[in-house]
Amino acid sequence: MSMIRYLIRRLLYLIPLFFGILIIVFVATRLAGNPVQLMTIQNPHITSEFRQRLTEYYGLDKPVYYQFFLFIWQMLQGNLGNSYAIRGGIAVTSLIDDYAWLTFQLQLLALLFSIIIAIPIGIISAKKQYSKLDVTVTTTSLLGTCIPVFYMGIITIIIFAYFLGWFPAGGANAILQERYLFGSLELDRIWHMVLPTGVLTFALLAPIVLLVRSSMLEVLRQDYILAARASGLSERSVVYKHALRNAIIPVVTWVGIYFGSMLAGAPITETVFNWPGVGRLFVEATTKLDFPVIMGITVFITIMTLIANLVTDLMYGYIDPRIRLE
Amino acid sequence: MKNESDSKSWSKSDGARLKGVSQWNIAWRRFKKNRAALAGGFIIGFVVFLAAFDFLVAPFPPNNISAFYSGETRVPPSSKYLFGTDYVGHDVFSQVVYGCRSALYVGFGAAAIAMSLAILVGLFSGYYGGLVDNILMRITEIFLVIPFLLILLVFLKVITAIAPSGVGGLTIVTIMIGMFSWASNARIIRSEVLRVKESEFIEASKSLGASNTRIVFKHIFPNVLHTIIVLTTLMIANAILVEAAVSFLGFGDPNAITWGQQLQKANEAVKEAWWEGVFPGFFITLLVLGFNLLGNGLRDALDPRLRE
Repeated sequence: MSMIRYLIRRLLYLIPLFFGILIIVFVATRLAGNPVQLMTIQNPHITSEFRQRLTEYYGLDKPVYYQFFLFIWQMLQGNLGNSYAIRGGIAVTSLIDDYAWLTFQLQLLALLFSIIIAIPIGIISAKKQYSKLDVTVTTTSLLGTCIPVFYMGIITIIIFAYFLGWFPAGGANAILQERYLFGSLELDRIWHMVLPTGVLTFALLAPIVLLVRSSMLEVLRQDYILAARASGLSERSVVYKHALRNAIIPVVTWVGIYFGSMLAGAPITETVFNWPGVGRLFVEATTKLDFPVIMGITVFITIMTLIANLVTDLMYGYIDPRIRLE
Repeated sequence: MKNESDSKSWSKSDGARLKGVSQWNIAWRRFKKNRAALAGGFIIGFVVFLAAFDFLVAPFPPNNISAFYSGETRVPPSSKYLFGTDYVGHDVFSQVVYGCRSALYVGFGAAAIAMSLAILVGLFSGYYGGLVDNILMRITEIFLVIPFLLILLVFLKVITAIAPSGVGGLTIVTIMIGMFSWASNARIIRSEVLRVKESEFIEASKSLGASNTRIVFKHIFPNVLHTIIVLTTLMIANAILVEAAVSFLGFGDPNAITWGQQLQKANEAVKEAWWEGVFPGFFITLLVLGFNLLGNGLRDALDPRLRE
């Protein structure tokens, strides 16, 4: 019951936040320039009358508040408008439907891999604090947090795509169907995903390892661990059953917060690896002042972020019964 | 004779003995022992040196394209062009050296803005509590939840569109990064203030009739200063990374010489010229590593709860 009440209160707070973010981005896009101007600048035959008609067609001649309420009204009906520039004005919803899955494939797989690899490494590193292994792990992780993702991407492309030629340098699939790896779409996709997923995994690995390690060190020092050891439990059970459950809490927070910035950070990885996801789409749309696409992706990513935040909050109560949701 | 030397040695050292060792002395002593932190300091010193004397270190003037006229575009590293040249004919080494100044400018500038906001919000929110705290923390949460990079890109696009010519460039990028990255630091400072606020000496000061402003700036601020120093160092590293990312995506200042800009151009030609991207990226990593090592070292050295 308290859970439902908490959920309602949280939603009452998140909904205005969501609309606040939308207002900021919406007003910002309208200030960023005139898309009609940008579209027609290359064409000397276009008259000002035609420009005027185009502006009216897109509804850009109306006041900004009117445009905003129209946008919200349409959004509530599941319509995010049509793109100005892509595929002859394709609906933004179907565009996001096309691109979002590719973003998810990459990001979620990398997140999953990094968590699976990071937790045992962090635990072992904490158990053998100051050993050679621990020093190597912490040094590598620290370095990992300092390398920009796109730089790591460029380096791996140079080494694995050009010098060694093992993997393709970019894209989600070969352009021609005849060039697919073993003629299969799925295998070709996996082959294209190796480099971007690998780079993202390494980038995520570093902070999670450091987090698991420090939180494990903190937990292992506590009295209840001593009590567990004293009552004759095996080391394995002490570490993986009793200590891990508490040590994992900061990791859950981090993943929850990270999930949002991960989607917002997608432009970087996707640009390096030429990956056709929402991130690269957003960069292109911003450059071209494709307002509906900018707004559509903002709506999509903001909703995802807010849901991730909510789920993180709810997870707390599940993992750590000391925390009461209020 | 004996007596005289005795009193002399006494008078010489009594100041030090009576005063004891200050918190900062302890911190410095700890810091000196930390090799990783010293290495970080050394890296930063090296980049600051390059930035200060870039005109002496760099063999070519900024944006010089003499290699273009001698037909040496995109040549691999050699003794003449230490890091090779790019497509336009820039000497990559010279451009990397000029990039040091931009990186430090963005790092320190954005950190100064972000930390000022974070300190103000953190101090007032933590000290006053109640309604002030409630309002400030709601604002902070908005900044924590917004898709930072997306909004930053849209805002930079706006500013290049509406700013009069001459305004803009690297300073705008710096200000925008600063404005959008204070929230998490404000939260940390707030929680530190909450901790200090409960101390007895604050109570004592209050009972002596000290004003709120005096308590905040004279008593609370010095006691959260060590946290602020550490956060600032890490913030500088973060700002440098964000600027590089923004420039890499093509939303930075195209007229500034930054490592991110160089990487953006290099990304179009990684196949033909690996040297164009490898060296600027190496410098980003190096400088960020420097600030992170320094920050971690300072955290260990300044933590008053850790004793020797």
